[in-house]
Amino acid sequence: MCLAVSAGMVIGSLSSCATLPVYKTAVANKQVSVPTSLFAQSNFQLIQPQGMYYNIGLRKENDGSYTALLLRCTHADNQLTPAGNNGYVCNLHGSQFDTEGHVTHGPAEHDLKKYPTQIISNQIIINLI
Amino acid sequence: MRAKIFTLVVSLLFVSGSLFAQQTSEDSLNKNSLSSSTTTIGGYGNAFYQRNNNLGTSSIDLQRFVLFAGHKFTDKISFLSELEVEDTKVTGGEGGGEVSVEQAYLKFNLNPNNYLVAGLIIPRIGILNENHLPTTFNGNERNYVETFIIPTTWRELGVGLFGNFNGLPLNYSVALMNGLNSGGFVHGKGLEDGKFEGKNATANNLAVTASLQYYQGNFKAQLSGYYGGTVGYSKRKADSLGLNSGIFGTPVALGEGDIQYAKGGFSARGLATIVSIPDASEINRAFANNTPQTEYGAYVELAYDLLYSSNHPRAQQFIVFARDERFDMNYRVPANGIPDATLDQNHIVAGFSYLPIKNVIIKADVRFITTGQQNPALVVNPNPATLPYQVNNNLVDIGIGYSF
Repeated sequence: MCLAVSAGMVIGSLSSCATLPVYKTAVANKQVSVPTSLFAQSNFQLIQPQGMYYNIGLRKENDGSYTALLLRCTHADNQLTPAGNNGYVCNLHGSQFDTEGHVTHGPAEHDLKKYPTQIISNQIIINLI
Repeated sequence: MRAKIFTLVVSLLFVSGSLFAQQTSEDSLNKNSLSSSTTTIGGYGNAFYQRNNNLGTSSIDLQRFVLFAGHKFTDKISFLSELEVEDTKVTGGEGGGEVSVEQAYLKFNLNPNNYLVAGLIIPRIGILNENHLPTTFNGNERNYVETFIIPTTWRELGVGLFGNFNGLPLNYSVALMNGLNSGGFVHGKGLEDGKFEGKNATANNLAVTASLQYYQGNFKAQLSGYYGGTVGYSKRKADSLGLNSGIFGTPVALGEGDIQYAKGGFSARGLATIVSIPDASEINRAFANNTPQTEYGAYVELAYDLLYSSNHPRAQQFIVFARDERFDMNYRVPANGIPDATLDQNHIVAGFSYLPIKNVIIKADVRFITTGQQNPALVVNPNPATLPYQVNNNLVDIGIGYSF
């Protein structure tokens, strides 16, 4: 019964199936540039810098600032998967991180790497340092 | 069917070919490399006390001691492994205990979303198979559905492609592995003893598995499947046993679906799975191991973290939980099989998990077990040589676990 109810809830949510916006861009001088206009419809964007093997999760905060998280598990360097409202998960050993990059489930012990950001001429500059 | 396998192999080779084709842009890759080579050491383990009220016995066991070793050669290529010792000690000439490699594979990152693995791999089937650390599930024992219907930490030799789709909250996996050995099936143990787990596996028979995961809001849903042959003998030997050989000869099919929900301190998960062995009759005729035609299992678990605080999420956790597990390891038996209602079981498990930090767990739970009646035709040592069978039992477990 519970399974059926749960399945029904998910099927219901499929009608409002959200996409996961992705922006591909080049890396120049250890920096990635992302237009602020991408956040007109959503407060989250997945950034794929060319030549890198990890995505960057870029989130617009309520105060207008931006948080850039390297989606690399701090346990064994595996790529992370966005998990809806529950942040990011690592399928390798089950580590989980919230949307702010804090560890919520081990075995990872360290929070995600956070890149500094700044806004210059309607561009969000992510410094890959 | 051979054509499909051929297509899958060619696809995987094509993907691996594209992996190495990217070497032409090696300079740019190195320029954007995030780290040099690194070696990771980790591990997990658990120990618990168990009281069996029917038997009046108690035991304490360091059930699992596992060490991870991983090495990242570059951002593109890694090696990952797990080495396990079960029950602490393996002594020559004595039963019990096991030393085994749980995983050992090379991982090739194709891009940020997709990677290829090759070696001794754990396919994505169910919830626990892929994520089996004691700090990630409630209860001292792994749930029985994902132990007896879906074998626990089911690993085989093969190649797999894992990843997610750009623009969609959808993950996938597909893998080609060695198949099972139907001659190893043991009555009452499901598929467990038909696994090769990387040890001298037959490769005349193969298996394919695939899964899809979907994330939406606070939900995660998954569908997965497995289809593989169970006779790896030469055609001559298989014919003499009256079994179909070949890649998918005398097949096992497994289907699974699960759903998980987490919001704040509340979480819920449910899973259902079914196993079909259409040629069980032929397996029984060849090996007399009372193989069923159909097995199924399902469970639902509800949990709540009493220490959850939105200001300090997961600082400490005290999770209370209840789980209802239902499974039948011989739901349908062929005409030459012997029904065994003791394998039709319902378990209610309730308890708590306390995590002072995310990597350490203290668990206590009680498992109430109800089964069907014993079939007299299967009683080898009747009463009073053994105690009369009791359809109700309960187990009390107290234990600890860790992962790092």
